[in-house]
Formats: sequence, C-alpha cells, structure tokens
Amino acid sequence: MKLSSAKISKESKGASPSHGGHHKNSFHSKRQSHHSILPLQPVDQLEQWSSVAVDMYNNSSSSNNNNNHHHQPQTSHTSTSRSSDYSAGGDGEPSAVGNKWASRLLKECARAISDKDSSKIHHLLWMLNELASPYGDCDQKLASYFLQALFCKATESGQRCFKTLTLVAEKSHCFDSARKLILKFQEVSPWTTFGHVAANGAILEALDGEPKLHIIDISNTLCTQWPTLLEALATRNDDTPHLKLTVVVTANIVRSVMKEISQRMEKFARLMGVPFEFNVVSGLNHLGQLTKEVLGVVEDEAVAVNCMGALRRVPVEGRAAVIGMFRSLGPKVVTVVEEEADFTSTRYDFVKCFEECLRFYTVYFEMLEESFTPTSNEKLMLERECSRGIVRVLACDDDQDSEGERERRERGSQWSERLKEAFSSVGFSNDVVDDVKALLKRYKPGWALAQPYQNETGLYLTWKEEPVVWVSAWKP
Amino acid sequence: MMKGGFEVVHATLDMIQPHREPIWDFASFGFPTTSVAAAAVSSIPRQSLENRCINLERNELSDWVEQVTKKLIDDLPAQNTDTDDHHSSTLQAPADIPMVCEDSFPPSLLADFRPRKTVTSSDFDELQWSNVNGGNDRGLSRLDEQGLSLITLLLECAVAISIDNLGEAHRMLLELTQMASPYALSCAERVVAYFAKAMSSRVINSWLGICSPLINYKTVHCAFQAFNNVSPFIKFAHFTSNQAILEAFHRRDRVHIIDLDIMQGLQWPALFHILATRMEGPPHVTMTGMGSSMELLTETGKQLSNFAKRLGMSFEFHPIAKKFGEIDITMVRLRRGETLAIHWLQHSLYDATGPDWKTMRLMEQLGPRIITLVEQDLSHGGSFLDRFVGSLHYYSTLFDSLGAYLAADDPNRHRIEHCLLFREINNILAIGGPARSGEDKMKQWRSELAARNSFVQVPMSSNSMAQAQLILNMFPPAHGYRLVQGDGTLRLGWKDSSLFTASAWTSHVSR
Repeated sequence: MKLSSAKISKESKGASPSHGGHHKNSFHSKRQSHHSILPLQPVDQLEQWSSVAVDMYNNSSSSNNNNNHHHQPQTSHTSTSRSSDYSAGGDGEPSAVGNKWASRLLKECARAISDKDSSKIHHLLWMLNELASPYGDCDQKLASYFLQALFCKATESGQRCFKTLTLVAEKSHCFDSARKLILKFQEVSPWTTFGHVAANGAILEALDGEPKLHIIDISNTLCTQWPTLLEALATRNDDTPHLKLTVVVTANIVRSVMKEISQRMEKFARLMGVPFEFNVVSGLNHLGQLTKEVLGVVEDEAVAVNCMGALRRVPVEGRAAVIGMFRSLGPKVVTVVEEEADFTSTRYDFVKCFEECLRFYTVYFEMLEESFTPTSNEKLMLERECSRGIVRVLACDDDQDSEGERERRERGSQWSERLKEAFSSVGFSNDVVDDVKALLKRYKPGWALAQPYQNETGLYLTWKEEPVVWVSAWKP
Repeated sequence: MMKGGFEVVHATLDMIQPHREPIWDFASFGFPTTSVAAAAVSSIPRQSLENRCINLERNELSDWVEQVTKKLIDDLPAQNTDTDDHHSSTLQAPADIPMVCEDSFPPSLLADFRPRKTVTSSDFDELQWSNVNGGNDRGLSRLDEQGLSLITLLLECAVAISIDNLGEAHRMLLELTQMASPYALSCAERVVAYFAKAMSSRVINSWLGICSPLINYKTVHCAFQAFNNVSPFIKFAHFTSNQAILEAFHRRDRVHIIDLDIMQGLQWPALFHILATRMEGPPHVTMTGMGSSMELLTETGKQLSNFAKRLGMSFEFHPIAKKFGEIDITMVRLRRGETLAIHWLQHSLYDATGPDWKTMRLMEQLGPRIITLVEQDLSHGGSFLDRFVGSLHYYSTLFDSLGAYLAADDPNRHRIEHCLLFREINNILAIGGPARSGEDKMKQWRSELAARNSFVQVPMSSNSMAQAQLILNMFPPAHGYRLVQGDGTLRLGWKDSSLFTASAWTSHVSR
C-alpha cells in the first residue's frame, strides 16, 4: 500500500527541521524512495524550477493585480518557513479571463506524470494541495478534484479510491436526497431536461398511432423524463395507448431507489389515465447482457429505446455489440443522449485524456457555479459525483474494472459513426425543435440550441457557445 | 473640535459596520460608563435580538465536543506526553482569578485547552442578556445522529494520523470529505467538513514530504475584514489594545508604534483619532508596519497617512516587509526620545513573526513602554493530536458563534469560514503547525513574558474593560459572548469558552 509505506519525517518536536529548515532544504524529502513512479531527483533542479513555477503562477493572476505581487522568497520570508505569496483572484474576486491558474498547474502536473519527472510532480502536487479547496471558487474546486485524481495516479491507488468514494455515495444515497438533487438540477439548468424534451418529442412522433408502446429506458435519471411523456399520451385526442416502461438500471446507487420510483410512476399513470406497466431490470454487469427476453419485449409492441448517458458506461470494445443488440429488439426509434466530451480516442494518451477531461469538467463546473447559489448543497453533491468520474477516468486502469462504471465519453460525431452501422438517423421535427427552444428560454441566459452541419446528426445543447450535450434519434 | 472628531470616528466605524449607534466617542472615556452603556443597550432594537435566539439552541456543539473528546482521550493508547504546562503556574493570581473548570481532561494532554468556566466579575453583568445556555446535558440531546457519527469518524482519523497510519486515515478521510458539507445547517457538520479537508491536505503533504504554505494575502485580508464586521473579536482586540497604548502614551510627545502584522491597519484610525484630540495635543506618531508584501504595506501606509493628515496629526510610516523575528534592531527606526509601543494580534493564518526566541529577544532589546498582546486561547505547539483536540474545541466554538448570528446560506459567513477559519485550521493541523518550520514555538506568550525578568505585566484598566463592553453591545447576540476580567487580562469568548485574551506588558528598561 503506497501511502502507508511512504516514510515521512515525523511531526517535529524540536527535531531537526527537515521541513523548511533553511531555504535550500525546504523541498527536501526525507522519504525513502519507494516503488511508485516517482524516484527522487536532485534538490537543486527543483529549486530552480520552483521559482519558475511560482513566477508562472503569479503571472497568471487576474487583471486586477499588476505583477508586483511577484514574490521573491529570498528577500522576505526566508530561512524558517518558505511561504510564498501568490496573487490569483481567490474568493470574492471576479475571476477574469486570464485567471486560470488551476488549469495551468494541473496540465503541467499531468505532463510531469507522463514524463515521470519526479521533482516536478512533487512540486506541482504541493502547490495544488496548498491552493485547492472543494469549497472555494471554480479554480480551487477543479484543482481539488483533479488533484485527488493525480494523487491517486501517482500513488497507484485510483481503484481503491474510486471504490471507497462509490461505497460512501451508495451508503448516503436515498430516494429523497436523490430526487431532490435531480429536481433541483433540472430547475436551474437544462443539462438533463434538454435531452428529455428532445427525446420525448422524437419518441412520441415515432410511436404515433401505436396502441401498445414499450419504452426501454436505459438511464439514471430516476424517471424524471416520463411524466411529461405520459401527460402527452393522456392528452392526445385519439385513444390513449398502453405504455410499458422498462427501466434498465446500471448504477448501484440508483437500484435502491427504484422501488419508490415505481410506486410513484404507477400512481402518476393512474392519475393520467394511461394504462401502464412498470418493470425494472437490474443486476446486469454490462448492457450487452440484455436480450429480448430479459427486457420482456413481445411481438406486438412498438419499441422505443431511450439511452440517456448509458452508452458511455459500456466498455469501449463492447459498444458495437450493444448497438447491435438494440437493433435486434426491432425498435421503432432509438434516442441517444450523451455529454460532449471525448475520453475514448484519448484513452491511451494520459496527457491528452487529462486535458480533455479538464476541459469538459471546467465547463461543467462553471455551469454549475452560475446556475446554483454559492452555498448550495445540491451543487456540492453534483461536484462530488464528478469527482468519482474524474478519478475513474484518470486514475484507474480500464482492465481493472469489473463493475461497469466506466465512463469513457465520446462526442456526438463519434457515437454517430457507431450508430450508423446499425441505424439511420432521424431528424428532429420543427415542433420538437420549437419545444426545445421554449425550454431553454426558461433558464438563465447562456444556453442555446445548435443544429449540426450537413453530415452531422442530432441536436446540441450549448453553454456559452460550447457544445455540452448531444441528443439524437435513430431508426433501423 | 470635539464634534468634528466625533464625525471622523463615526466615518471610520461606518466603513466597518453598517449598524451602529452614536453612543460614545472615544474622548468620553472619562464619563461615567454605566449610563452610556445603559443607553446603548436600550437603543438596540429588541426584535432583531430575539430573532438571534433561534439558532442558539441548535449550536451546543462546543459542549458536546468537549464530552466526546474527553471520551476519546480516555480511550487513547499512551501517546504524546511531551506537552508541558509549566506556564499555567506562572500566571499571577489576583483576587478575581477565573475559576478553572472542574472537568476531567487528562492534564498531560490538554492542560491549556481546557475551556475555562469563568465568573464574570465585572459590574456590567446586569447589562448582559440573560443566560440562555443551560449547560452540557442539553447539548448532547440536541445534536443529531449525523453530526455524532461524523465527529466520531473525524476523531478516529485524527488518531490514525497521530500514529502515522496514513493509509487508514486517507481512506477514512475520503469517506468523511464526501459526507460532510460546509453549507450544512449544523455547525458540527461544517466543522467536520473543514477539519476533514485540512487533514486530507496534511496526508498529501506527508506523502510529498513538503509542508511549506502558499498564501494569498489579499484573500485572507478580505476575509479578515468580513470577520471584523460580524464578530466582536477583532474590534475587542483593537480597542482594548488601543486603550492600553493610549494610557502608555499619556503626556508623551513623540511616540512610535510597531505593529507586528499590520494587514490593512484597521486598528489604527480609532487610536489616531483619540491621540489627535487629546488634551495635551497630538503627539508625533511614527508607525512601523510589518507584513508580508511591500506593496500591501505601502498601500496601508498611504491610507493611514491620509487619515492622519485629515486629523492634523504629524505622522510617519515605515514599512518592513519582513518578519519581526528575522530583523535586527538596526532595521527599526526608533529615535531617541520616542515612546515605543509594540502591538501583536496573534492569529493562525500564517507565521507572521518567525522564530519565537528571536522575537522575544528583539522585544527585550527594544525595551518598549508597552507591549499589547492579543492571543488566541489556542496553542500552536505540541503534537498533532494536541493541536487537533484543542483546535476542534476552539473552532467549534467560533463556528457556533457565527451560526448563532448568520444564516446557513449566508455567503459572508461562508467566506469567513472558508477563507479565514479554514485557513487557520489547515495551518494548525499541518505538519509542524502554523509555522511549518519544525522549530519550537512558545505555547503561550503571556506566560513567556511573565516568566522573564525584562517584562512586567500592566493590568488592563477599567477603561479598557469599558471599551470592550461597549463593543460587545454592538453585536446582537450579546448574551452569547462572554467578557471576563482577571489576571490583569481581558478575555472575550463565546459561552463558556474563552477565545481571545488581551494583555499588556512593559519593559523594565523602557523609556
């Protein structure tokens, strides 16, 4: 176990100051080198490099500060503790465009890990550790969660860390808190409702006129998508069709609350006057195990497959098979919603994957920051969910995984390539597009709908002109 | 001139606190204070005070922490016997000494962290609001199970760290940091969230073998100011010290103040005002401001100079961007005939003064007429576990005091807790404590000063007490704050816990 084998200099009680005794030795570690990827390197290089790092750090500060805050350790606080001054925006100050210290430090650290530059790694992890906080501004949060992943990577404890985080989340998860969280998120941000509205529109149009509907819902959104669809079915002027809803649960966390959800859904359907049947499929190791029988697909049903953030949980090599399996169900429509990030093509290049991961989560965290109040517990929980994903992608080996909680995201264009093998794309009608636009108007400015270029399929939700969520519809 | 002076004071306070009653002006310290204080009390709107009571009952955290930590310490394997409590015996013992709490913390571990139950000996007692606190047993029943399990887990983590079981600690901290939220309604949960994060940082630092801090002084100063607005502790420190300095400067024409960590110099305008309007006329004031960054010091100096100019007081400012314990006497531009005051408001945000023994030595060499010292009732020394237990109690109390006054989702409260208190917690729990230098730090400065032949304590006067009382009356849940005079010191705390102690000292060889 890497951590406990690390020998540290004991808490000093008048012992020789190994930490910051005098200037030169402040970064000198008395740790025995152990067999992680970080062999020790000469102290001098570290010293030299560290002032470069501090410079870089100070110079990345916001336009508020002129660079006179540049701190020369030698002239001020020396000899005892080597404390350095830095002048990033910090809390309470608006973060200007240039104020991206976290991103720079994190990327440098990822590169250092890839290069196996031990002294640099140590130095950067130290800086990140001092500056990060999951309760501060965006930069501090990103620094905190990515630091955790980098630290796990450096200590080869990613898998263990992920398991612990997941266990804790499962323990503290309950229907009320989960429901509250999802509903609050949907209230302040169209991140999930965008996909719901577009997919529902496509499903309703594809299944129009059918008397027996079977919707296979592969998602973790706790059925928040379906009330509006049920309502639409109930208020159509022709006969209300029979709806069978089969929810396929992939995350352990969600499994425990499905009972409560099924009760509510059944009650709601009764209220709406929609003949309704609700089933849950769980306990799968991966989606490829699904079959017609398991799902309860029968001949006279019109099937719709709704895949919300589910394909990314399928192991990369298994994705074609799962898509093929969908095809074998003979659906009238398949709707796919995914987040716009590529952790798949980059999965063998740590730095590239890291940078893409950082890019995506930066957008996500900033979006959360602007959508919620500063002291929102819901925002905090969403951020913590991200922390698990980040550790999983960056610090765990793919082949270690047995639980199926991988989240190697792909971009819409990449998914399209895959789906085209078995399906052809269906455009979204003007009505659906209008519905989506109306939805976006209900939220704070910054959100927009982007329709793709010629060869691309689906619709994109954009946040400050950055595409973040992709929705698409397919037919055999 | 009095009126003009009054307005200036008013303006100064304006920038600090939105609500205030023009109930006193500093030149009136000779007036009978009872009536002034009574007027102050009646003018605070009752309604807002009653609202403040709502949160009090939920926050009996510090009492409960005391109980749980006691149990934990009892269960500990024999560790950490290097704390020494010689200092407690060196304190003077005048008649109105505070009663020491009769609880049973093992003295070897917690000598100086024991919360002291104090008897308020001042005659302003009647003016304090009635005591809402019912005692320890209420606290335990009110804390929810969630808070209970969190704190228990936290204590287990601390023990793991103290015996270097970092792997286990790391695992537990992963859990804790996911479970506790700093935005929770419960103060206990907030405290746990920050303590857990601080320990996580420490585990990483342990692994890295580096423990130097990185500090954003601007953020810290900002948060400090926010804290000053909502809590009386800083003002308490400022005004009681100012009073002692004022008395030391009686009839002196040329005075020099060294502020060991001046930050934004919030303290000084009030003193300048009194000096400028005193009977014998204003003195020439030289101020040596010490701090971390020359730029920040220059800015502070400018502000103070402008203010002094408006008062028509002759003023000089010398910035020194170094630590007091790292300069020698030649760097201090002390002139012959100048009466010297050294002021030190201690905190745990960063190491402001450097090596303690050098700081002490320089103080002795300078021979000031007055040293005003405000200390946190919290020790920075000792082993990790000592610091952990002490700071858990200390900051639980502080969080309680904030929670009694501010809403759970108040962004200002969050800023104070995150940018100020969390930073202190982080520092205290870090390897080597706040100084991060591995050197021995003095446990309690007033004991050290008392132990030396070169210094003699100057008891805080009744005027200082009056100042403190008036400050308390500005802050709504006044019945939660407790002010005590004893040992020649003034102590301000929350409920039964003393948090800050102000004392004053003079040098035998002073001018």
